[in-house]
Amino acid sequence: MAQTAIQLKSSGTATTNWRVWLGVAPFLLFAFLFLFLPSLRLFTASFTDSDGNFTLSNIIQLFSEPFIVNAYKLSIQISAVTAVGGGILGFLMAYAVTVGGLPRSLRSVLITFSGVASNFAGVPLAFAFVATLGRQGFITHILRDYLGVNIYDAGFNLYSFAGLSLVYMYFQFPLMVLIMAPALDGLKREWREAAENLGATTTQYWLRVALPVLLPSILGAMILLFGNAFGAYATAYALTGGRIGIVTIQIGAQIRGDVLYNPGLGYAMAIGMVVIMAVSLAGYSWLQAKTERWLR
Amino acid sequence: MKPRKSLINLFSLLLLVSIALAACAPAATEAPPAATDAPASDPMSDLVAAAQAEGMLTTIALPHDWCNYGEVIETFKAKYGLEVNELNPDAGSADEIEAIKANKDNTGPQAPDVIDVGFSFGESSKAEGLIQPYKVSTWDSIPADAKDPDGYWYGDYYGVLSFLVNTDVQPDVPQDWADLLDPKYNGQIALSGDPRASNQAIQSVYAAALANGGSLDNAQPGLDFFADLNAAGNLIPLIANNGLVATGEIPIRITWDYNALAAIDTFEGNPNATVVVPASGRFAGVYVQAISAYAPHPNAAKLWMEFLYSDEGQTLWMKGYCHPIREADMRARGVIPADLLAKLPDVSGAVFPSLAQLNAAAELITTNWDAAVGADVQAAP
Amino acid sequence: MNFWSRLRRFPLWSWIWFIIGGLYFVLPLLATFEFSLSWDPEIPFKAYQRAFEDNDFWETFIYSNILALATIVVSIILIVPTAYWIRLRLPEARRLVEFITLMPFVVPAIILVFGLIRIYSSPFNIPFTDIRLMQPLTNFKAGTNILIVAGYMVLAMPYMYRSVDTGMRTVDIRTLTEAAQSLGANWYTIVTKIILPNIRSALLSGALLTFAIVVGEVTLASFLGVDAFGPYLFLLGQHRAYEPAALSFVSFLLTWLAMGLIQLFTGGQGQAAGAH
Repeated sequence: MAQTAIQLKSSGTATTNWRVWLGVAPFLLFAFLFLFLPSLRLFTASFTDSDGNFTLSNIIQLFSEPFIVNAYKLSIQISAVTAVGGGILGFLMAYAVTVGGLPRSLRSVLITFSGVASNFAGVPLAFAFVATLGRQGFITHILRDYLGVNIYDAGFNLYSFAGLSLVYMYFQFPLMVLIMAPALDGLKREWREAAENLGATTTQYWLRVALPVLLPSILGAMILLFGNAFGAYATAYALTGGRIGIVTIQIGAQIRGDVLYNPGLGYAMAIGMVVIMAVSLAGYSWLQAKTERWLR
Repeated sequence: MKPRKSLINLFSLLLLVSIALAACAPAATEAPPAATDAPASDPMSDLVAAAQAEGMLTTIALPHDWCNYGEVIETFKAKYGLEVNELNPDAGSADEIEAIKANKDNTGPQAPDVIDVGFSFGESSKAEGLIQPYKVSTWDSIPADAKDPDGYWYGDYYGVLSFLVNTDVQPDVPQDWADLLDPKYNGQIALSGDPRASNQAIQSVYAAALANGGSLDNAQPGLDFFADLNAAGNLIPLIANNGLVATGEIPIRITWDYNALAAIDTFEGNPNATVVVPASGRFAGVYVQAISAYAPHPNAAKLWMEFLYSDEGQTLWMKGYCHPIREADMRARGVIPADLLAKLPDVSGAVFPSLAQLNAAAELITTNWDAAVGADVQAAP
Repeated sequence: MNFWSRLRRFPLWSWIWFIIGGLYFVLPLLATFEFSLSWDPEIPFKAYQRAFEDNDFWETFIYSNILALATIVVSIILIVPTAYWIRLRLPEARRLVEFITLMPFVVPAIILVFGLIRIYSSPFNIPFTDIRLMQPLTNFKAGTNILIVAGYMVLAMPYMYRSVDTGMRTVDIRTLTEAAQSLGANWYTIVTKIILPNIRSALLSGALLTFAIVVGEVTLASFLGVDAFGPYLFLLGQHRAYEPAALSFVSFLLTWLAMGLIQLFTGGQGQAAGAH
């Protein structure tokens, strides 16, 4: 078999061999044809005002308008909170059904359920939560009638930042479960046994062996969760009616409203979102590079 | 063995999928039968023939429960044997305009032929050259202030803002805007959209202005009213829909009277609900029809318009509790069935804003809503 | 002593997390279900009867399922070799590809669909001539199907790529490849016979996520004029009270069932079983 020996690159020697890039060419072509080209308008229209002339005012407004700056802050906050919160809970659930020793059948149930739940969003999800925890919700009723606890008197409000985060978790933490379950499968039994042989306690095993190995996957999953929450629109709109002015809702108001607005500004805000995702990705890459030192 | 088996599985799946996709039948329709209707005038039968040659009509943003559009579309299909392609029923007016723009070069079924948009969008789409003129045969009986003199756009129906009340949960029905401020309605009232973007919600605020000392030229009292309502805790931020009214979470929903009446029909008694057209502050909102300048099926579009503006079409809208634009004319000629007339609520005294007034009010409301309602949830520093 | 050691081995915390998570998941669904039954005290399933009376329910559901399967298959074909190649030979491309796969989150679906329509509604000509290579994609059924599958692939890209990437991370790609090549395998064999089976559980995750996205998707389908399940649900339930709750519950169950079938079909999950 006259096979050319594969030059496995050692880290450090950069390859400028364009033939290697051919391998990702199909993907890049696909992304170009079906993601970039259609979204090009996003870029060109953000520099246009409502009369069609070139302008930088949309971009400038991103920084000068307080409601836009606030929108970005809110979006980042809710995305970060639900990414971390959903991440932790999702990790624990994934742990429970993989390494944690629960019966095999429960794993199948959880995985398939997570698949559906991860996309259960928008009006049906908002409605489901209102029917559960709204003022007339059935849990609210149960708590009030059987336990004498009125959560609304105690200050809970479903139609708030906290309530919205709670609802977001519904599709965030199944996503985490789905990503982490295969990663947790990769924890080899031998490592645990070896650690125990050397006298490690469970905590030490987790802290020194398992978590470092898992950390790149966990971070990767969390950035996905972040992006997922960042781009969410329908759920927030349905639940809070645009009161919590996150970026997607502001964009929706500019682009899709029944009132004549400034679509250019909406597109400019979307460009802002792209930039924020790029920055988050950079941060995540940096973190990941640090943690991947543990592997190999 | 396992990998080979899964490979075979994968390939057979792929094969199955390709076959299925290639063989996918188009949308289930019957072959167009001959027109069952024999129109009297010659231009009409020419139009019908031309439309049938085109074979299909593409509509957008027509939910079936809105003004009885479901029955309107079915009747149109049965009468003329055309296929009707329904694009996004949830589209807002801006989406419809965007759809026309995006489909300029497209002769496929994604390009909308006809649109039904908010009042302000008629003029703006004419200015952008997105619509083409057409005067239906009943043109003269459409009120002058509800149509474009050149025939580009024309009002289709109107409704009045009202309160849909779930009487099982809240038996004490408010009769007017001022009643809404009563503390017994705490946490029970909601709008049907976001006033920064939704036509219905903006006009709700505008309507409140009329009852609160404002006028068609001054919408500020409306903002003040809602600010008070919010401060009192009576207004909740949820976007109201009929499901939420039925659960009792939002016993009072501010919406068009035709939506409210249609909702009561769909509830079928559970929950019991009623519609109240407020005693003062009766605000009429008009929607307009237009034909896209790039319509791939212009004759079908024109036939659709003829149908909508015929007595039959207007009556079907009335069945959906909408006030058709030719209502005055039809009443005068006595062609409206008495039982339908009985079902329509009394909306005497309803006022119609002009285009200029509407745009000015919308501008005011959309920019000041956040400040008025204190809705700006501030991000933590 | 026996009891205590057995107790220590009992996965108490796992059960606790599972039950808490389970409650969180199930309660909202239960509330929706309970509401959908409450329409008519004498006919509890009235909302469901109404919903199923319509023939289009099954037609559109099955069609969406087929679209979902097509999206999954083509996505796997596109993404697995890409992720594999990046891991193996081209780490420089990783950040770029990751950035690309995160972009669908920030491009609103409505902009994507209008962009697709704009670009693919004009005919494909050989440059500088008038010779038409192909009709515009939007004008014929198969073309529209291609467009929508491509659109769905874009929407599902973040999830599919992340799943595949995570799966590959846990497997020692390099060693497997070297071993396979030393035994004389070519690239095709390596990817299909070695890599794919080893990332099966990750592929399953990606497939399930894609499936849910496609079946529930509304914007792309409705503007491209495709008779999918999402637009159908919308058309039916927007202004009703009880039917939407019934429909969302039913579609949840049906999608769950379909996922169960996918799982059976792909032979379950997990590589090295019982990892500790």
